[in-house]
Amino acid sequence: MAGFEDDATTFTRRGLVLGVSQIALFSLLAGRLQYLQVARSDLYATLAEDNRVNVRLMAPPRGQIFDRNKVKLADNDQDFQVVLIPEQAGDLDATVAKLSQLLGFSDRQQKDLLNRARRGPKFRPLTVAENLSWETFSQVNLNLPFLSGVQPRVGDRRIYGFGDATAHSVGYVGIETKHDIEVHGNAPSDMVGRSGIERYFEAALRGEAGVRHVEVNVHGRTVRELAFDPGRPGADIELTLDISLQKFAHERMAGHSGSAIVMDTQTGDLLCMVSTPAFDPNMLSQGVDTKSWNEMVAHERKPLMNKVLRGQYSPGSTFKMLVGLAALETGVITPDETIECTGMYSFGGEDFHCWKDEGHGPMRFEDAIAQSCDTYYYEIARRLGIDNIEKMARRFNLGQPTGIEIGGEKAGIVPGRDWKRANYDAGWRTGETLITGIGQGFLLVTPLQLAVMTASLANGGFIVRPRLIRDTEPVPPQPIGVDAKHLALVNRAMYKAVNRPLGTAYDSSILINGNRMNGKTGTVQVRRISKDERESGVLSNKELDWHLRDHSLFVGYAPHKNPRYAISIVIEHGGGGAYVAAPIARDIMAELLRNEGRVREARAS
Amino acid sequence: MSSSGTRGSREGAFAFGQGLNWGLILTVFLLGLVGVGTLYSAAGGSFEPWAWRHGLRLIVGLFLMLAVAALDVRLLYNGAYLVFGGLLLLLLSVQLFGDVTMGAKRWLDLGIVTVQPSEFIRLGMILALARFYQSIHQDVVSHFQNLFVPALIILVPVALIINQPDLGTTIMLAVSGVGVLFLAGLNWRYFAAGAVGIVATVPLVWQRLLDYQKERVLVFLNPERDPLGAGYHIIQSKIGIGSGGLFGKGFSEGTQSRLNFLPEKHTDFAFTIYAEEMGFIGSVLLLVLFVLLLVQLAFIANQMRSQFARLVVGGIGFSLFVYIFINLAMVTGLAPVVGVPLPFISYGGTSMLTFLLSIGVVLSLERQVRVEMSRG
Repeated sequence: MAGFEDDATTFTRRGLVLGVSQIALFSLLAGRLQYLQVARSDLYATLAEDNRVNVRLMAPPRGQIFDRNKVKLADNDQDFQVVLIPEQAGDLDATVAKLSQLLGFSDRQQKDLLNRARRGPKFRPLTVAENLSWETFSQVNLNLPFLSGVQPRVGDRRIYGFGDATAHSVGYVGIETKHDIEVHGNAPSDMVGRSGIERYFEAALRGEAGVRHVEVNVHGRTVRELAFDPGRPGADIELTLDISLQKFAHERMAGHSGSAIVMDTQTGDLLCMVSTPAFDPNMLSQGVDTKSWNEMVAHERKPLMNKVLRGQYSPGSTFKMLVGLAALETGVITPDETIECTGMYSFGGEDFHCWKDEGHGPMRFEDAIAQSCDTYYYEIARRLGIDNIEKMARRFNLGQPTGIEIGGEKAGIVPGRDWKRANYDAGWRTGETLITGIGQGFLLVTPLQLAVMTASLANGGFIVRPRLIRDTEPVPPQPIGVDAKHLALVNRAMYKAVNRPLGTAYDSSILINGNRMNGKTGTVQVRRISKDERESGVLSNKELDWHLRDHSLFVGYAPHKNPRYAISIVIEHGGGGAYVAAPIARDIMAELLRNEGRVREARAS
Repeated sequence: MSSSGTRGSREGAFAFGQGLNWGLILTVFLLGLVGVGTLYSAAGGSFEPWAWRHGLRLIVGLFLMLAVAALDVRLLYNGAYLVFGGLLLLLLSVQLFGDVTMGAKRWLDLGIVTVQPSEFIRLGMILALARFYQSIHQDVVSHFQNLFVPALIILVPVALIINQPDLGTTIMLAVSGVGVLFLAGLNWRYFAAGAVGIVATVPLVWQRLLDYQKERVLVFLNPERDPLGAGYHIIQSKIGIGSGGLFGKGFSEGTQSRLNFLPEKHTDFAFTIYAEEMGFIGSVLLLVLFVLLLVQLAFIANQMRSQFARLVVGGIGFSLFVYIFINLAMVTGLAPVVGVPLPFISYGGTSMLTFLLSIGVVLSLERQVRVEMSRG
């Protein structure tokens, strides 16, 4: 057997080659295991944990918003939705086809959905359908095991029962954007307040999301719960608004562009705060298309703007009470001194016109307010000088925000020498003092500031802070420090303005349960009337384009004896204060007093 | 037949027991037990549905292994071609009457058990190849005319399996056969030429591959290609193994398998569960156990006196190595997912039985090492 040893040697040699290769390959395996289980084990442990644990957020119900009588203004409605996360869908076409069939989609809808799923970021949940019926929703739920990447969701939809009437006070919500997340952090639901109470009380209303850490298997089925935090529902908010009055005022303002405010003269409670035209907050909360949105933004009557806080107007004759108070306080005039009105006041080579061309004749303090004589005010403004007027305006909180809880408030402008220097780099002219004396010129106020001013006149000279939320701690009224006798004179004059035949708002007087309303009209010219026009006859408001017509204002309060409610009406380009704003104020105040009477009667019986 | 112990007498049984390599049997038994534990864990801490059957197969298989160990070595030698031919017929019958399960015609339902002849044929092929080389002289091993028989012995079953289709088993079979040729001392040049030939035919083979087979290769090259589809196996397996860390998550605590993130966890990916729960230390210990098995087989092969015995033991050892390595390389992401079970650990009756019978053959050859056979 010569070959015997040879066979064995060959075999041993070949076996050695294989053995060495095997050792090398086993070393490779050991190295690989070392890499996976030692070097990179943290990474893989994290990945395993990501597989295992699913963090589920449960959206808390958003806080509800009520009026002062617990009437619901903003409510939540459960909305059954289906969302699709494309990256989890596996076979996207199959999932979309199955889902479309369950939802009864048309071919076109199905194609749209597929396109949306392909185009957008793959990780982002895509809302497939909203407002589903319970039947359809449960069908989807039953078929979930065959619908990878599909998630049923019960969303909260915001419902504003009074629609347009509360658009600017309550505000509306929108779908959370990237910017919102930066500002507020991740919202527990995808709703974020966009305006009004919804926006400025976002933090309280949104609550905290509940968190469930669950262990899931590969199909996403929950195996067990690891941790649970129930979260916190959003806080309810009760407003000072009286929705019946708000609704009434909103309807009464229909067709006008402006603001209507009713404020408690003692507490600052806003019983009604209307800005027109408004919008349907329900529609905006669902999301509107860019075209409709742009139309709203560009509209000349600015439906999106809360004119109560953000509209700035010359106060016109409603400012005369403050000029009068300043004149009495400085003693530049006595209540009984008369000033002759000829319909025109000449100063420094310029003619200043009274609204009454033929003139008022001899005017005393009370008559000048009641009949709104401009000549009288040109004269006392000249005697006062701008500094005294400015000081009094500031004491009544003009030129600064009132401090209402919802933001975005404008400060208005109280002009003076420093202001003129800073803004126009020019000295103050006495002619400008005269114009300021009748509430025109540079002077700008918001309707809300006018309401605060009027409340101060009615409550004995205290500044109150407007309050929209009942939980807000009322700020103690700040005394202005005006003489009670002077205030009494002003109030008496405002009584005459509404309740005496020669008063500018006599047509708007009311008598309900023995209560009357005091007030003051204002008509603000927004264009310059040329000398030619004056000679040929001033154009009436009806002859002018809307944006050239006068602003129509009225401020007032009731009851005339123990004033509880201050009212401020500004109608943009409405015409004369007596003709448009005053009747609106009359109707709103009458409604309020009548309601109050009814409530009293109901309590008595 | 100098020291056969099949007569049934007490001394005979004792002698049979003495002649057996109990170390080898213990190694195999331990590996089988690791398999039972792993499958118990795979079922979420339950003997149902896999662990108890695996255990039963282990016990029954060990007895069958001992029965094979008792066979006369000359019977093995003489019956080699017969066994191979019979298995080929069985393979052919699978083609005609086999069950189609999971898209692959692999099983033959024998009524009581279903068997995969494609696994058994490997042992038959090794025996047939070894017998052929025993029958020719070492000097003529590389002669051209002596290439045809071994080529047929390898290619006929390969052709039958490739039709089934089963990529993993086919590769394993071919590689095992080539391993025997290598050990038999076939000239290096043939292997070099074969390697060149394979490289040259890759494009052709690629065209013939089925879609899922192509996909597996592509995904192996880049698992992220389809993280939720074909790449999912590899990624989840790596996560399972890696998350085990140094000490593992503890027996029956593997989340990847318990929560079903791991597919085919009881068959090809059984090692992943083991590694996740036992950690790096446990994995290396298992690796050592496998190396121990292979080293024992290598020593036995080297002690053999006949070319037949040497090639059978060497071939079985090499075949085992290929299974172990390809499986572990696959689950750790070093090789494509080709569907190769881990010997003694993965669930699967035929695989377990084939390996145990192979060990039985080794035991028989070792026991009768002194039986001489003429060569040439």
